[in-house]
Amino acid sequence: MHYKILKTNEFIVFLILVGLSIVVGAVNPAFFSLATLFDTLRGSIVYFIMAFGLLPLMIAGGIDISFVAIAAVSSYATHMFLIGRGYQGGVLPYFLIACTIGVSMGLLNGLLVTRFNLPIFDVSLAAYTMWYGFNLFFIGATANFDLPRGTIGYYARFLFTVKDPFAGTTGLHVSIIYVIGIGLLMWWFLKYTTIGRGVYAIGGNREVAIRSGFPVSRVLLIIFGIMGLMSAIAGVTMAFLSRNFNPVIFINQPLDVLAAIILGGASITGGRGTVVGTSLGVLLIQVINRALILTGIPVEWQRLVVGLILILFTSIPALREQRAKHTSHTTEIAQTDQP
Amino acid sequence: MEPKPAKTPILVRDLQSIQPAIAKIDRQTILLLGVFVVLTVFFGITRDTFLTGRSITSMAFQLPEIGVLALAMMIPILTGGINLSVNAISNLGAVLAGFFLVKLLPSNMVAAQPAPYVALAFLIVLFIGLVTGVINGLLIGYIGVPPILATLATMTFYTGISTGLTGGKTVTNFPDQVGYIGAKSLMGIPIPFIIFVLITLLTYLILFQTSFGFKTRMIGSNPTASTFSGIDNRLVIMKVYIISGIYAAITGILVMSRTMSAAIEYGSTTYVLLTILICVLANIVPGFGNVLNMFIAILILQVISTGFHMVLLGVRGSSFFKDFSWGVLMILIFIVNYFLRGKKSQE
Repeated sequence: MHYKILKTNEFIVFLILVGLSIVVGAVNPAFFSLATLFDTLRGSIVYFIMAFGLLPLMIAGGIDISFVAIAAVSSYATHMFLIGRGYQGGVLPYFLIACTIGVSMGLLNGLLVTRFNLPIFDVSLAAYTMWYGFNLFFIGATANFDLPRGTIGYYARFLFTVKDPFAGTTGLHVSIIYVIGIGLLMWWFLKYTTIGRGVYAIGGNREVAIRSGFPVSRVLLIIFGIMGLMSAIAGVTMAFLSRNFNPVIFINQPLDVLAAIILGGASITGGRGTVVGTSLGVLLIQVINRALILTGIPVEWQRLVVGLILILFTSIPALREQRAKHTSHTTEIAQTDQP
Repeated sequence: MEPKPAKTPILVRDLQSIQPAIAKIDRQTILLLGVFVVLTVFFGITRDTFLTGRSITSMAFQLPEIGVLALAMMIPILTGGINLSVNAISNLGAVLAGFFLVKLLPSNMVAAQPAPYVALAFLIVLFIGLVTGVINGLLIGYIGVPPILATLATMTFYTGISTGLTGGKTVTNFPDQVGYIGAKSLMGIPIPFIIFVLITLLTYLILFQTSFGFKTRMIGSNPTASTFSGIDNRLVIMKVYIISGIYAAITGILVMSRTMSAAIEYGSTTYVLLTILICVLANIVPGFGNVLNMFIAILILQVISTGFHMVLLGVRGSSFFKDFSWGVLMILIFIVNYFLRGKKSQE
C-alpha cells in the first residue's frame, strides 16, 4: 500500500522540486532562507488561486484560457467603479463586487457551453479576446495606481515577519491563508461531494456520466462559477499585492497556469488531477523562475534555462509513460506492425 | 446505413458518399462567406475610404503574417495537437537572421554586395524553422510529451535563445534588400499577399492531395486506428511539426521584411492565441478542416480590424474594439452553427 504513493505523479513532481531546490541551494545557500520561501510563496499566491479555480474544469475535460480575462475585467472594472465614486475604505467591497462579476462571467461561459453544446476551449478563446477587448475599450486602457486609502497597507499585511541579511525585512502575506483555505475547500469539494465526484465522472467519460444520472450541465455550470470566483479573487489579490490595477493583467499568463496544472498530473483530456499535484506544479514553476535569479545566470539567458528545464521536466513523465506502455499487450502489437 | 443495390454505377455511388461531406464543408464556408460579405458591405457603406485601392492594398500587406502563422497552427491542430511555439519560431528565425546580417558579417562586406547575404539570411530563417520543427516533432512524436506542454516549453526555450542573444533589444539596421518582400508589389499585388496565397494553395495540396495529408487527418481523427493501419504516427507527427515550423519561419521573414527589424516581443502570446482563434473560427478540429475556411476566416479578421479602425478613428482605445468584436463574432457564429446543426439533425 505504501509503495503506491511512490509511483504517483505527485511524488515525482515533489522529487523534482526537492532535487531542484537542493541544486540551487548548493549553488547559492541564500536559497534556503525564510525570506526566499516567503518571497516564492508571495509570488505564487495568485497562481495557486487561479490554478485551484481551473482544476475542476480541467478534470472535467475542458481547457479554459478565459480565466485570466475574467481576473482582469472583474478586478479592473471593480476598481474603476469604486474609485470613480470616491471610495476610500478597505478591501472587502473590492472582493465582494469583483467576485460577483467574476462568477457572472464564469457562468456566462458555462451557459454558452451547456446551452449551445460548445467546446469549452473554443468558448474560452472567444471570451478571452472579447473580455480583454471589452476591458481596454469600454473601461480603460491604462494601469491605475490610485488606490483607496483603506487598502494601501494591504500589500504589506504580514502574518509574521523575518529579518533577512540579504533581503531585509520580509514576511508571509496574509493572503496565504485564503490559498490554504481555498485549497482545502477544493480538495474536500473534489473528493467528498457528489458534484465533485461528478466532475471526475464527466472528465472520465461524459457519455457514461450522463447515463449514470449525473446532472452534467449543472455540474459544469457550478465549476464554471467556481472558476470565475477564483479568477476574481486572484485578480483583486494581484492588484493589491502589486499596488496597481491593470486592464491587461495576466494577458500573457494563461498558458503558464495551464502548464502548472498539467505538470501537476492533471490530464488534458480530463478525468485526472488533484489539488496536491496542482499545488506542486504551481510551486515548481515558481521555484524554477526564482531559483534562476539566485544561481547567477545572466538575466537575459534565464528564459532559455527555464525553457530547457521545462523541456526536461515534461519529458520525464512522458518517457515513463511510454516505457509503461511498451510492456502492455496492445502496444506490442502496434509496435510490431510498424516497419 | 442502408445497403445499396449492387447495380448502382460506381460514379453515382461515389457521388452519394461524398455528398454529405460537401454539404458539411459548405455550411461553414457559406456562413463565413456571408459574414465576410456583410462586414465588407457594412464598412463599405459607413466609410467610403474602406473599399478604395489604398485601403485594400494596406490590408493585403498586413494580413499575410497572421495568415501564414495561422496555417502553421492549423496543421498540428488537424493531428489533434497544437503548436504554441509558432510565434517564438518566427521571432527566433528573424533574430538569428538579423544577427547574421548585422553582427556576424562585417558591415562593409554586406554593403558591397547585399543581395546574396540577404538571400542567405532568409535561408537561415527557413533552416531555423526546420530545426525547431524537428525538436517539436521529437518531443511530441517520439518522446510523447503532450503537444500543449511540449510546445509551451519550446516556446519558452526558443524565446529564451532570442532573449539571450539580443538582451531584449530590437535588431535593426538591415540592408534595404531585406525590405523587398515586405514592401514591394508585383503587378499591383503586394508580394506578401502572393506568398500567403501560394502557401494557402500549397497547404491545400499537402493536406488533401497527398497520402501524407490523408495520414495527417487520419491521426487527428483516430490515432489508434492509424497505428493499426500501418501508419508510423511518430514520423507523420514529426513532419507535421516541421511544416509548421517552416511556415512559422516564413512568417518571420515576412515580419522582418515589413518592419525592417527583429524583436523577441513581436506578437507574443496574444498572436499565438489569435492564430488559434482563426482555426476555431474556420472550424478546424482534429481530423477535419478546410483550407478555404481558413482563408476566409483570416480575411474576416483583417476586415474587422481595418474596418473598426476606420469607423472608430479618433476614439480612445479604438484599436481594442476589434478584439472585443472578434470575440463577439466568434460566439455569434458558434450559436448560429448550433441552430443550423440542430435543424439538420431534426430532418
